[in-house]
Amino acid sequence: MITVWTHHLNMMFFNMLLRNIVRHSVFPVAMQKGTKKDLFLTTPQKPFPCRTLILSPTPKKQFSSNPTEKLDLDGWKNVMKSGMQEEVSETSESEKDSTLAATRELVEMWRLAGVFVPENISEEELKTLMECSTKSSKKKYLKFLACKEKLKKASKAKQEKRREAKMERLEKAKENGTSEMKNTFLLKFWSRSFDKVYNWRTAQAMIFGQPLVFDMAYENYMSRREMENTVNQLMETEGWNRRAVDPFHLHYCNLKVDSPYHKEFVKRYGEAWDNLLVTVTEQSHTDVFPRDKLIYLTADSPNVMKTFEHDKIYIVGSMVDRSIQTGLSLAHAKRLKLTTQRLPLERYLQWEMGAKNLTIDQMIRILLTLKDTGDWMEALKFVPKRKYKAFSDESVYSKYKTNTQSRTKIFEFNGSQERVKNPFASSRNSLQRQKKLVGN
Amino acid sequence: MAFFYVSSFLGLQTLGKYHLFWPAPRFQQLFAIIFRLHNREHSAVPVDPNTTHMLSTKTRSERRDGEKREGMARGDTSSPHPFSLFSAGAAKRRSKNQEEPFMISKRNGIQPPEKPLSVEEWEELREEFKAVSKFEYVMLEQMIKYNSSIDVAKSLLSMVATRKGDISYNLLVKYLALCIKQEQLAEVFDVFDIIKLRFKTLEPGAYSLLIKGLSGSDRWREALLLLEEIKKVMTPSKANYGDCIKGALNNQEINLAYELYHEMLAKELIPNLDTLQAFFDTGKCVKDDQLKSELLGILLYLRENQIYPGETLMQSIKLWFESIPGEKWKGYITTITNSYSGKCPVCNQHLETIHLNEEEYNILKAKIIKDVIQGTDVFRKTTPQELEEFRNFVENHPPYDIVIDGLNVAKVSNRRSESQTLLDVVSHLAQKNLRLLVLGRKHMLTGSPNWKRPIVAATQKKADFFFAENVSEDDPFLLYATLHSGNHCKFLTRDLLRDHKACLPDNLTRHLFFKWQRGHQMVLSHYWPGKRIKFQPIPTYDTVVQTTGDTWHIPYDEQLVERYSYEVPTKWLCLQRKSPPTC
Repeated sequence: MITVWTHHLNMMFFNMLLRNIVRHSVFPVAMQKGTKKDLFLTTPQKPFPCRTLILSPTPKKQFSSNPTEKLDLDGWKNVMKSGMQEEVSETSESEKDSTLAATRELVEMWRLAGVFVPENISEEELKTLMECSTKSSKKKYLKFLACKEKLKKASKAKQEKRREAKMERLEKAKENGTSEMKNTFLLKFWSRSFDKVYNWRTAQAMIFGQPLVFDMAYENYMSRREMENTVNQLMETEGWNRRAVDPFHLHYCNLKVDSPYHKEFVKRYGEAWDNLLVTVTEQSHTDVFPRDKLIYLTADSPNVMKTFEHDKIYIVGSMVDRSIQTGLSLAHAKRLKLTTQRLPLERYLQWEMGAKNLTIDQMIRILLTLKDTGDWMEALKFVPKRKYKAFSDESVYSKYKTNTQSRTKIFEFNGSQERVKNPFASSRNSLQRQKKLVGN
Repeated sequence: MAFFYVSSFLGLQTLGKYHLFWPAPRFQQLFAIIFRLHNREHSAVPVDPNTTHMLSTKTRSERRDGEKREGMARGDTSSPHPFSLFSAGAAKRRSKNQEEPFMISKRNGIQPPEKPLSVEEWEELREEFKAVSKFEYVMLEQMIKYNSSIDVAKSLLSMVATRKGDISYNLLVKYLALCIKQEQLAEVFDVFDIIKLRFKTLEPGAYSLLIKGLSGSDRWREALLLLEEIKKVMTPSKANYGDCIKGALNNQEINLAYELYHEMLAKELIPNLDTLQAFFDTGKCVKDDQLKSELLGILLYLRENQIYPGETLMQSIKLWFESIPGEKWKGYITTITNSYSGKCPVCNQHLETIHLNEEEYNILKAKIIKDVIQGTDVFRKTTPQELEEFRNFVENHPPYDIVIDGLNVAKVSNRRSESQTLLDVVSHLAQKNLRLLVLGRKHMLTGSPNWKRPIVAATQKKADFFFAENVSEDDPFLLYATLHSGNHCKFLTRDLLRDHKACLPDNLTRHLFFKWQRGHQMVLSHYWPGKRIKFQPIPTYDTVVQTTGDTWHIPYDEQLVERYSYEVPTKWLCLQRKSPPTC
């Protein structure tokens, strides 16, 4: 009796499947082969006897309607067995590439298992993957590649959208008929012109500006990834400096020619590397500048920086340190017997979390702001917000502010950023004051 | 009951077939019972009457808690327990008052159904949880969490098969995990066959699950093939090897098990304790000289790598020794503390001394200078001038008895000024006619409110001082001065010196350092200003697996005590050949 029931259910199950056939490509293949045809007519196959389950007669609510209801629990196995072997990306199976192919298959299977892996992986990346010694390092590298791929795709999609929008706009303009020429005072101010202005300013800084040194001596302490990140940050740094009102004269010291560092720079900048308005030298900063003018900025320093000094030469260690090598740059400064200083982060910020070492681009923005305004509050706004809760009390701040003001006076003439933004503000103030005097 | 755990596989299998006759809650209860039995298989063996260890640990840990509370009420900053800083569980007790309440996980929304559902019912449920992406996957994960019956999981897979005509690899592997968790062997085979049919290669996660599932069955040889597959792309894990070894041992392929074991050691994998236990359990039944020497080899491996067996492995070792024919071994469980002056209380045998031998001592001294003080760059911890100055200082003074980390000791009490605390401790030690060296930093001399000049001057009369630069680290100097003074010299600090241990290049030196540290570090345990100064006892014996031929002493970890990596166990297994002394 029971077996008949099972048959019946099996039939129902496969009928249900048949309804789905149109949508799925796997099943028809199995049908053509004819292996499963008899399944519909005869008993189920031997290796998978269907275990049926009779539900106990007291289950809840809707299931109780049919007390002898049975469920086919093993039918899915037949479905799976009927499927074709999964297509793992086809690779040439030559003897040499066997491990390469195995690694490629591993990546493929990881994807199926739900691990975050890239869709396309190049030969070079596969080789790097094989060099990773542990499973976790392999997964980490794949995750990195997958993230990169995802970002690339997203930006491409965005670009596509923008292009379409532009085309639409142009078409609309065409429909509206011949658009009249606008009457303007200036020609369109192209970014090329901007570049020229910036370059003039930076060139001027290279003659008259205050030097700022990036110490490139940390190559051996960094992994490949860290080194690439450093180059990234330095490129951004150079960009911020170029756009500043009063740029620094940047020096890349201790940069050895043909070192991986140098090669990465050339690779990233391309032609522009030779036209960069930066002094690059293999020499150490102590050879280029007088020792007593140098101040090494490092988060490990016991001395706190109070004011920005315009006659000193600050040195920033260009290093990305993911493995927390404390005291590394301090050791360098100690060896060369240089003065060291750290930013007064604790004094002005209520620190919450994260290391006190900042990225190189954050450093230059802080230094540029200090140079222009001497205002610590303004400068430390470039510290990432997640790292601190709030600025410290105004009272504490003002105590130190008096300290800095005497110095800032000197170069209010240089034109602080404030002034550039609103050149008339102060003159109006003085005018009002004059009026008052007259009134008295 | 006995029947269940002898053949727990069989028991589960039969259960799987007939469970429908029980209402669900009862069924789950039964599962729980069986699993506990299975886990405790080895602690359920007859135990020596004077080793009611399970009970005794419990009462002791309660007592310790009480002590701790008392200590806190007194406001003492140091812990008042009688065990040393390095004995198992000390760190856990210290950290207890800092523990935060448990975080409750947010994602426990979906609860799997108790009964298998039909396809339509599943579709309904799916609609209900529309928000959840990958509904089937999340559901199956919850089933593993709640240990649902596999019939429920099967019905879910049926739904997926009906809807999509295919079941993803991901889902199959999750289902496999559920089957293995419940030891449903027939299902594991089915899924294995399906996966083999559909996929040419697998990823390590699925391989590991399959190895685990197959090695317990009579298809265990296939697990070895899977192990080979993993080797093609990466090093198998120690659990993979462990499962294969267990499979081989269960089927009396002892040589194969050795081979796998040695292969694993060659790959620098540290075997899981239950893998080692499987060897000892086999040894109980199989009498064979080669196996015996392998097992003794395992014990030496434990010794060399400072691995301590857990309670269950210890019981297996004990039973194996007692089962060796003609040797009349007898095992006792005991606690060894300092009060026995390094003797085992059962057999009165002296344990190995904690002092390093000459050769080890010299290795350690050289490594400390090379790797801890100099490291990659002398300037990171000190300067060459300062190092030279310090070396001269140490050379020109006769050996010291105690080297004191001045700044660490000074900060022991927050009620008394730092300089006063240091003076107290120094004068207490000076009364005993000990030659003292205090290491400090130059800022101690500047006469701040914490470091009053007259007090510092008074301290300087009672001990030699060396002041390092304010930016230098003082701990490396502490280590060097102590090592230079010789084996009798001790050092006083509360610092666990873990960061310095981490600077050492290899495991061997790290073990040497730890052994030396346990034998030479004094820790201030009681400090009541003006009244009492007491130090934690320093052990005279080494806590490591050791033998004299006629005896074995094996320290082990209790199940209920959490031991940190820088602590050592206090419980021992004492094995001896002759009849025990009457006590």
